Amino acid sequence: MSASRETQSIKPRGPIVPCPPYVERLARRTDSEQPSTRPTLATAPRIRYKGLIQGFLDSAERFASREALVVDDKSLSYKELRGRAAAIARTILDRELESFPLAAILASRSVTAYAGVLGILGSGKGYVPLNPKFPVDRTRKMLALSGSRVLVVGREALGQLPGLLPETDRTLTVVLPDLDDAADLCAAFPQHRFVSSKQIAGGAGFAFDIEVDSAAVAYLLFTSGSTGEPKGVPIHHSNVRSYIEYISNRYEVNERDRVSQEFDMTFDLSVHDMFVCWERGACLFSVPEKSVMLPAKFIRDHALTMWFSVPSLVALLSNMRLLQPKCFPSLRFSLFCGEPLTATHAQDWQEAAPNSIVENLYGPTETTIAVSHYRWDPSKSPQECLNGIVPIGWPFAGQQCRVADHERGKVSETGELCLAGSQVTDGYWNNPEKTRCQFVRFPETGGTLWYRTGDLVKRGENGCLYYLGRIDHQVKIRGYRVELQEIEVVLRKTSKAEQVVAVPWPVADGSADGVVAFISGASNLDDLHILNRCREALPDYMVPRRIYRLEEMPLNDNRKVDRKKLVKLLEGA
Amino acid sequence: MTMSETQLVDLVISWVRSNHRPGNSRNGGISADTDLIATGLLDSFGFIDLIVFIEGQSGCKIDLTDVDPSEFCVVKGLCRITLRNQQN
Repeated sequence: MSASRETQSIKPRGPIVPCPPYVERLARRTDSEQPSTRPTLATAPRIRYKGLIQGFLDSAERFASREALVVDDKSLSYKELRGRAAAIARTILDRELESFPLAAILASRSVTAYAGVLGILGSGKGYVPLNPKFPVDRTRKMLALSGSRVLVVGREALGQLPGLLPETDRTLTVVLPDLDDAADLCAAFPQHRFVSSKQIAGGAGFAFDIEVDSAAVAYLLFTSGSTGEPKGVPIHHSNVRSYIEYISNRYEVNERDRVSQEFDMTFDLSVHDMFVCWERGACLFSVPEKSVMLPAKFIRDHALTMWFSVPSLVALLSNMRLLQPKCFPSLRFSLFCGEPLTATHAQDWQEAAPNSIVENLYGPTETTIAVSHYRWDPSKSPQECLNGIVPIGWPFAGQQCRVADHERGKVSETGELCLAGSQVTDGYWNNPEKTRCQFVRFPETGGTLWYRTGDLVKRGENGCLYYLGRIDHQVKIRGYRVELQEIEVVLRKTSKAEQVVAVPWPVADGSADGVVAFISGASNLDDLHILNRCREALPDYMVPRRIYRLEEMPLNDNRKVDRKKLVKLLEGA
Repeated sequence: MTMSETQLVDLVISWVRSNHRPGNSRNGGISADTDLIATGLLDSFGFIDLIVFIEGQSGCKIDLTDVDPSEFCVVKGLCRITLRNQQN
């Protein structure tokens, strides 16, 4: 996904990738209608209900003794998981100093991670997932941007607290379900309040009777931002309930299903794993960190019936000769999302999972997990692929798509994909400028709010959508959305070089495996130092694999950095 | 080519020292017991590069079909798997 139509100036400036001309015009005309800083869903009728957690609570009633979660070789029934969540929910409600609609969770692939998400939702708040694998600086930024006053922390993330807490400006209530004694933390960080496992309230009798507004935020995720700051995407209960109900019906998920949980919680596809599974009383199998890379044995050992991952995982398994014909007979659905799926990989997976329906899903975080699908048919799909890439298909029922010409925003055969419907959120978290640029109302579609995806697509005669690339500098690395400018901001700061450029590399089948950096101009710092600083500020997948030093950057006719020439340098290296 | 476990471990450690993820040197502290993934020394693509390297050096294909990740992510475990494959 490395197509970049525009070149980029190296010096920092305002909106780094400008809006198309029509967006500016529309924004001027309908300024008063644009979403406010703190988004609210203006068009959908509001209701009060239990929101995202509703399906889990219903399943806990119907299937109390059935397995809900297998994690770390431990198995929890719906009743047990509900009890753990209830304890966290009650603790949050009892202990929080100042009411705020969001609470953060710093945990991964543990009982506390899953119970924490449910507990936060059960307390009536939206959850903000933080990743123990991310650099502390980034986690601190996300925590600050979210405004959360409550932080639930799993055992696997306790080591991050000494780095995270001293510079966190507001008083936090830190809930520690896996720590018996928090005396040391209390002494070290008197500005915060800690609740150890011994102080956590009992969950018995907690009725989960708090109701939320359908327009309230169910979760807040952060994606890479072009200004160097992570960008918050709030997803409302109505958005995600719409997705969960549609998908649960489409795949006829039931209590006998055994569902994979491969994605980190900071990746919105994890919401699908957890809540589609629990909606219908199925069991969620958390893939251990060590199996995430090569999960073939895990799929077989646990006889999973539903699989969901990024397509690059298929390449990994294939390269390791772990994708043999009929090796996954238990799978009945295999879903891929997050980056282009090649025809070869779809076919390889289909042969490995012959009893499975294989689908390619597509959707940005702003439109809640996925909004379109394409079902792989071995007999005819290979001919329907464009450039060897599986189509992204047709929008889900209830979601709308529009292919917009870049200059005028008019409907066209090839152009930027814009999306509207019940799953589409209505703005970024506390970021009105970015919201104005990405969320637009076209005059001919009335008050409908459209999200401009930045994805370049072609619409076929039968309405099928084909992914062609990006219209900006956003790339996907192993499924993660990455704004190259965010890497460049860190590189510029750490290298003190005059010019820095991040280039996705190597790229195969439309997906990047990583990033490399080019720098030019005075920088006396050695590469290792620069890369170490990058590692402190950026998640692993955004850290350049290598730095190339040039005396000067190649420029194109517009005197901008010629990225294509940089790629040619890499190809020749 | 038949190698002892010690030789293979040394070879792998040497390769990892030259090819690990940037900014994660661990000050050279890589041993037979190092978990290459958990420490962040290698990512999934780096791990595959390592497998290709080992296969080239040992002359045998490494079969991870039925191996637990907690074994093949550790230098010593990966070398033992290689030697087992070499014997079969």
